[in-house]
Amino acid sequence: MKKGYLGIDIGSISTKGVILDENNEIIESSYIWTEGNPIDAVKRLLNQLQNKIDIPIYGIGTTGSARKLIGLMVDADVVKNEITAHAIGTTHYYKDARTILEIGGQDSKLILLKDGIITDYAMNTLCAAGTGAFLSSQAKRLGVEIEDFGTLAVTSKNPVKIAARCTVFAESDLIHKAQVGYQKEDIIAGLCRSVVLNYLNNVGKGKKILEPIVFQGGVSKNKGVVKYFNEILKTKVIVDPNSHLMGAIGIAIMAHEHQSETPKNLELTNISFETKGRECEGCSNHCEILRIYKDHQFIESWGSKCGKVS
Amino acid sequence: MDKIKIGIPRALHYYYYGALWKSFLEELGFETIISPETTNKTLEQGTEIANSEMCLSLKIYLGHVAYLQSRCDYILVPRIDNYGTYEQTCTNFLGLYDIVANLFTNKLLTYNVDEAHHQSEQNAFIKLGLTLGKGKEQSILAYQNSKQKLEKIRKQNFKKEMEKLNSSNPKLLIVSHPYNLEDPYIGKTIKKILESLNVEYINGEYLTNEKSIQQGMKLSPNLYWKYNKELIGTIEEWKHKIDGILFLSAFPCGPDSLVNELMLRKIKMPHLNLIIDEESGSAGIETRLESFIDILGQTTK
Repeated sequence: MKKGYLGIDIGSISTKGVILDENNEIIESSYIWTEGNPIDAVKRLLNQLQNKIDIPIYGIGTTGSARKLIGLMVDADVVKNEITAHAIGTTHYYKDARTILEIGGQDSKLILLKDGIITDYAMNTLCAAGTGAFLSSQAKRLGVEIEDFGTLAVTSKNPVKIAARCTVFAESDLIHKAQVGYQKEDIIAGLCRSVVLNYLNNVGKGKKILEPIVFQGGVSKNKGVVKYFNEILKTKVIVDPNSHLMGAIGIAIMAHEHQSETPKNLELTNISFETKGRECEGCSNHCEILRIYKDHQFIESWGSKCGKVS
Repeated sequence: MDKIKIGIPRALHYYYYGALWKSFLEELGFETIISPETTNKTLEQGTEIANSEMCLSLKIYLGHVAYLQSRCDYILVPRIDNYGTYEQTCTNFLGLYDIVANLFTNKLLTYNVDEAHHQSEQNAFIKLGLTLGKGKEQSILAYQNSKQKLEKIRKQNFKKEMEKLNSSNPKLLIVSHPYNLEDPYIGKTIKKILESLNVEYINGEYLTNEKSIQQGMKLSPNLYWKYNKELIGTIEEWKHKIDGILFLSAFPCGPDSLVNELMLRKIKMPHLNLIIDEESGSAGIETRLESFIDILGQTTK
């Protein structure tokens, strides 16, 4: 009988799900907005996937910033950070990849590989400049759908210069350029270019970017950003048709390796899943404790520094 | 008459000299009060008092002083400038007495170490003893006894860390000032994550000695800061025994930002540069540490 393996990548902006078969080929995938509610997003995601497939799932893996919470909810076989997941997903398709550029909603990462093994990585630090969240907030400000952003950007012949160092400065620069009458597509192209410069200055600082370069994450769907990566790195970066799903694919491959004996239950729609946050008054640490309930039953808690409270 | 109570803030150079202070003052017949371990509240209080440009470690220090404010007669705030011309400490250590004197109305006790200008630690402690109304001989004796006790603790710590170097788990050398790594607020989250990942972490500070300082010269012959110089020596000395290095510093530490940056360019083994600020969520730190340990696991396989 056929077996399937599910990988879920729950990011700050979008939630991705992929089901692989025993040859690690994609059977089905889904991409939806997280909308600030990872639990609800995963329920919707599983619903969509279940309606499309009829094979049993023998392994589940979770990655992304909500991996721990969702891992608990779906009873995952493997819960792993997104850097490892992205590297595994990418090397599955591009065995000789040396550099992975990944720009997501809130994080951006740079992963360096050699012979399929991660040798170094970098993540954006305290700053959200050059991430998807920045682009989508600017799109809103300009009244452009984020989906059209890249297409508009590549039509520009004259991208404006926008301060690349910091989101706050970039934004005031952008308002200024708009007010003095620059064309919308030129501003949008300037923004895409500033994301690339920002990424290379911030995340890519001091790292050697070797070819082949694979670009992924939600922002890789933006043609404008791809164009400026090609221009500035003076090469052609690879963008896979599934570039937005790489994390989910990677974690599904890991779930395949860690699979269970019995099929998994994906029927979560009717199971209630709640989290309750409170501040512990036990000592002057005032830890923020998060308690997790499945069907009103307490299952786990996080956040206690001393481990005395649950 | 009740004994005079002297408060010791559990922060910054407490993690180097705390045992020395406590023993010296108690031997001279005073009572010492050490502020309890850092909590969220300590940092909150410190941040309220501090200037926004001060580093996280100094904000925590001020929080500890605030705790001691109403609980003792004097607070001990030394001024440690240098242990020789090329043995400079951080400017915060030099300015600490004046910073505290400006921000608090408490009576302070201090001693000056400035060996570049012939003010040795022993002389400084004699003066401190005299200020407290004790004789010179008595102060020297108390200082020497206390110094021996401190040495003994350092030797014990050294031995304990050396044993960790023989562990079969992945071994991570942590290059961090002890007031960051050993501070419960800053270091505990990191230690907890490392333990859950089955990593043997080695506190570089405990391995510093004359030999490691000599070794450090190979990485940079003319570094300026005493504490950083000692720390980086442990990288050179033990590089064949460890699998990776974690640089841990508090935002925005001046010496670390220069020295660690220099090291990142020189060393040729897996490393992670982690900078901690006031954030209370640990998810970001967790992702970074976990990915880094994955890399260690792959390279040591």
